[in-house]
Amino acid sequence: MFETDTVLPPDPVIEAYKKDVDRTLIRENLKLTPEQRLGNLMRLQEFAEELQKHLKKPDADSVR
Amino acid sequence: MPTQFDKLIPLLSQAAVEFIIVGGVAARSHGSARLTDDLDIAYRRSNENIAKLVTALAPLDPYLRGAPRGLPFQWDIKTIHRGLNFTLITTLGAIDLLGEITGGGRYEDLLPHTIVQEFYGCDCNCLDVPMLIKVKRAAGRPKDLEAVAELEAIMEMRAKASADLKSID
Repeated sequence: MFETDTVLPPDPVIEAYKKDVDRTLIRENLKLTPEQRLGNLMRLQEFAEELQKHLKKPDADSVR
Repeated sequence: MPTQFDKLIPLLSQAAVEFIIVGGVAARSHGSARLTDDLDIAYRRSNENIAKLVTALAPLDPYLRGAPRGLPFQWDIKTIHRGLNFTLITTLGAIDLLGEITGGGRYEDLLPHTIVQEFYGCDCNCLDVPMLIKVKRAAGRPKDLEAVAELEAIMEMRAKASADLKSID
């Protein structure tokens, strides 16, 4: 199956957001297979979860 | 708990469930760098497919995500028939089952707008980038607009890469 050949008219809000899109990350992702991209997503999820756990832990200094 | 896409997707595929990967995971499979927590799938609402879906996910103890335990929620064919979209947590992570999506319609409407991608040895239907853009624009939440901007950037980059290749030929 081929990709949908539908192009929507430009939206000024989206165009504004587009300036902040990090294209270097996309460029790296496009070098990978779809499966590798999902593998990276799972690792990113694990990292985000670890980060959240540590952020929730009270700082030893703050509870003294 | 991170969602184990490497187990969930093959599980559905090997059970011959008719589904389309939509949402953040579909975007990610096309090159998006955005973080998403759950697997969103559009599923065919036929009796046979609902039965397959219920059987496939039953061992994963599906339950309403974010709801307190003890609600009279039963994971069975009747429940899926009575509802349409389900936001669930399972032992393999978060999954959203969508009978219909805003701006895109049902499984049958979405199917012509998919491409086949291989994940973990399974060929899966994945919503294509233009349709992802359409449904995310229709959803219209701020996070969707950011995602649309990224998807449009992906389309532009792919078009440029394709044009560059043609110019070499």
